[in-house]
Amino acid sequence: MFKKFEEKESVTGVTQLKSSAQRGIRAKLLDEYSHCEDYLNQIVPKKEAMKIVKCHDHVEIIAIGNELLFFRQRDGPFMPTLRLLHKYPILLSHQQVDKGAIRFVLSGANIMCPGLTSPGGKMAPADKDTVVAIMAEGKEHALAVGILKMSTGDIASINKGVGVENVHYLNDGLWHFRTVK
Amino acid sequence: MASTEEAEAEAGAKAPKKNVSYPLRILYCGECTLPVEYCEYMPNNDKCKAWLEKNLPSEFGKIYLGEKSPEGGDTGETDKKGRQKRGGRGNIKIKKKSEPQGVTIARVQRNKKKYVTRIRGLATYDIDLEQARKFFANRFACGASRTDEDEIVIQGDVTDDIFDVVPEKWPEIDEDNIDDLGDQKR
Ligand SMILES: [Zn+2]
Repeated sequence: MFKKFEEKESVTGVTQLKSSAQRGIRAKLLDEYSHCEDYLNQIVPKKEAMKIVKCHDHVEIIAIGNELLFFRQRDGPFMPTLRLLHKYPILLSHQQVDKGAIRFVLSGANIMCPGLTSPGGKMAPADKDTVVAIMAEGKEHALAVGILKMSTGDIASINKGVGVENVHYLNDGLWHFRTVK
Repeated sequence: MASTEEAEAEAGAKAPKKNVSYPLRILYCGECTLPVEYCEYMPNNDKCKAWLEKNLPSEFGKIYLGEKSPEGGDTGETDKKGRQKRGGRGNIKIKKKSEPQGVTIARVQRNKKKYVTRIRGLATYDIDLEQARKFFANRFACGASRTDEDEIVIQGDVTDDIFDVVPEKWPEIDEDNIDDLGDQKR
């Protein structure tokens, strides 16, 4: 989603949200991330003014102050930026790829099933379309955020093709879009 | 490597772990911006190493001196387990940190006898354009406006002064980096 993202070209506008709209987004975040409500109150404090950064391809990024927190495309789920996920790794379920897959993920490729099922990989049970953190063998921090294209059960049994769509990865355009002006 | 059962229990960690409080503090590389543990995958790893050794020697020791083969790649123990080789690219590109492109100035005629001076390229030196605009307006006691992402227009013909003022204010820009494009149509 952010492979070709460039702050200068891809951002079409930044708007301050009205408090009603802000409440709506907060409610949606609380619903999606109900397992860490306390942390969500830290990340998105009630009284803090939220900004929305509108980008090409119907992508919106939520920011507070000048920090980018969550993004989504169209009406899709809100996903944490990697910088936020690094601070709060518990936001998402963790799927781990083996060492050999790291450089492919870092070049923007989708995550293929064998990378998750090989001895270096690890999966936490999750359904299709779940937003997940991509972790890596021998590494502590996430290297990508993705969406499961099949359930982890199917990944294990089918073991072929794309398992997770790579939505946002270290070193992509969103990673380098660090602060909102 | 842990056995599969243990592995699964660990990976399921969606629930908060004990003894860990969030937010975590992450060490990001000053060179490539990634968490330092991923530097080895970046094309400019040498620069990353130098940065880490200089700024965080203890981390440097942990990452680069502890193990023999930091290159994750397709070598090492995983291969012995008979995994197939992966095809395809896997090229990691470095985001060009917009290299300083040099500064250009041009004189643009506004009226018969009026000129404005157009400066481009300051942003490629990581200079805050808004501050630069203010500085010019103050220095030349005239109007200056930011007209584009990386363009400032100063009222009046100040091209000659620019050569002195800019290197003085921003030592990273040498007089030789400033290119006078002469008279330009807007
Ligand atoms: Zn680095």
